Amino acid sequence: MRAAAAITGAGSTGVGSHAERTSISLASEAVSLALADAGLSRREIDGLIVHIGAPRGADYDETAALLGLKVRFASQTWSHGRFGATVIQHAAMAVSCGLADRVLCLGAYKNSNLGLIGSRASWGFEESLRFGGGPHGETPHAGFNGPVASAAFAARRYFHKYGTSPDKLAAVPLAFRKHAMLNSEARIRKPLTRDDYLGAAFIVEPLRLLDCSVVVDGAVALIVTSAERAKDAPSRPVFLLGAQGVHAGPEEFIFGQPGLGVGQASVFDWESPGANQTVYRMAGLAPADVDVLQVYDAFSPLVLLSLERLGFCGAGEAVDFVQDGRIELGGEIPVNTSGGMLSEGHLNGWSQMMEIVRQLRHQAGARQVPDAKVAQWGTALGDSIIFGNSDV
Amino acid sequence: MKHAVLDRSFPIDPAGLLPPVTSDNAPFWNGLARGRLMLQQCPSCRKLRYPVAPVCAVCGSTEIAWAEMSGRGKVFSWVRYHRSYLPEFADRLPYVVALVELDEGVRLFGCLVDREPDPFIDQPVKLVIERWPNGRCVASFTSAGVEQ
Repeated sequence: MRAAAAITGAGSTGVGSHAERTSISLASEAVSLALADAGLSRREIDGLIVHIGAPRGADYDETAALLGLKVRFASQTWSHGRFGATVIQHAAMAVSCGLADRVLCLGAYKNSNLGLIGSRASWGFEESLRFGGGPHGETPHAGFNGPVASAAFAARRYFHKYGTSPDKLAAVPLAFRKHAMLNSEARIRKPLTRDDYLGAAFIVEPLRLLDCSVVVDGAVALIVTSAERAKDAPSRPVFLLGAQGVHAGPEEFIFGQPGLGVGQASVFDWESPGANQTVYRMAGLAPADVDVLQVYDAFSPLVLLSLERLGFCGAGEAVDFVQDGRIELGGEIPVNTSGGMLSEGHLNGWSQMMEIVRQLRHQAGARQVPDAKVAQWGTALGDSIIFGNSDV
Repeated sequence: MKHAVLDRSFPIDPAGLLPPVTSDNAPFWNGLARGRLMLQQCPSCRKLRYPVAPVCAVCGSTEIAWAEMSGRGKVFSWVRYHRSYLPEFADRLPYVVALVELDEGVRLFGCLVDREPDPFIDQPVKLVIERWPNGRCVASFTSAGVEQ
């Protein structure tokens, strides 16, 4: 897949609380912006992949019909955040295989009207009634619901395994808040101190309020085409250099790490594969070549797990790695430069994909990483994409 | 080994929190109602299968058998809810949920019913079966009466 596909158009509503708007109206705005950015008309889009459908967003059929898209390739993933990058991977595959020439990738949905995530009233409660646990291990009859507890179980075990203090986690939300303060679109821009973090209430111990992301509404549309076609695009293309998919199976727990043993996964002394994983081999790059990193930070411990899984540091080292500004702008590897889900707002990675486009086009304003050439997306579950602003 | 069954009350009807009983998992739920913790065990390679599954992840056998667990284990990880996500549990806040590793190796999420002391990783615990108002029984855990 290396440099076979590129993003030529990107559009975002920005994140916010759009209580008065429908998800299809948010989608429409983002799609119009992406089409204008790509210099394409609606009829030139022949593929559509929707990340999150009903009840949070519009399903693919409704989206295509209401936005006037006539496509010959349509797909839609599960209504969970984990498949955001998979949507872009599928689009790259579709254009590489000739199933479509220009695929619209869409993350467009609302959270503000769904209540507390994990409560009975919120979307997806029925999934938590799976025998043996829901998509995050939820076990409602044990009082365990809401993904935050899943992250808390993993974090408790992580801190135990590596013998570190949970208070050091503060460096993660503090770093991302600094970035959010440079982003006029970020949901929360108030300065944050370590005392604020440690003084905030526990939600599900050991995680505190400021370990939890901010729920928002919004839409991002990205247009993926072949690298060949991308060369004629009016806006600077962002090339896909490498990718690897979501990992799954008995050894994977959504918010865990191999060897951590949450759920039924095995316990062992895991070592980070470093650069020895598909996404880097495909890109011909290593973690040290990455200028900007965006990770899935629904809860702050996921940043530690992601940094280790993606090889930016070794197993158990991330809690020290994130100290001293190393993940901040100007640091060794700037992470979640627009504020992440923790401060910019949780759009399941879509606003972070938008940030990748902005950084690689050098349009990120005050938070621009100087001369950024390579940007990476990744999650604790192992999926990742490396993007570059050139195809070499 | 038969375990004590305790009746548990709730501020509102909690039936909606229970996974449906299916032909696959019925022996687990029926076992709890009889005071026993039953899990699937592969008749071919003896590997315990949890969650209930149609195939053994180790040897690929599609045969199914059930075995009784001791109900003894230790805390593998734990969390404490300070915020109410489920009104059925609101009157218990703050409450602890543990991931318990049974002596046999399988890990179960369950309430740790003790109000104190604080749990800790590797704390020895044992099964407590809680009977809900609709008669269904669930697996919870306690450190009381377990040599620490």
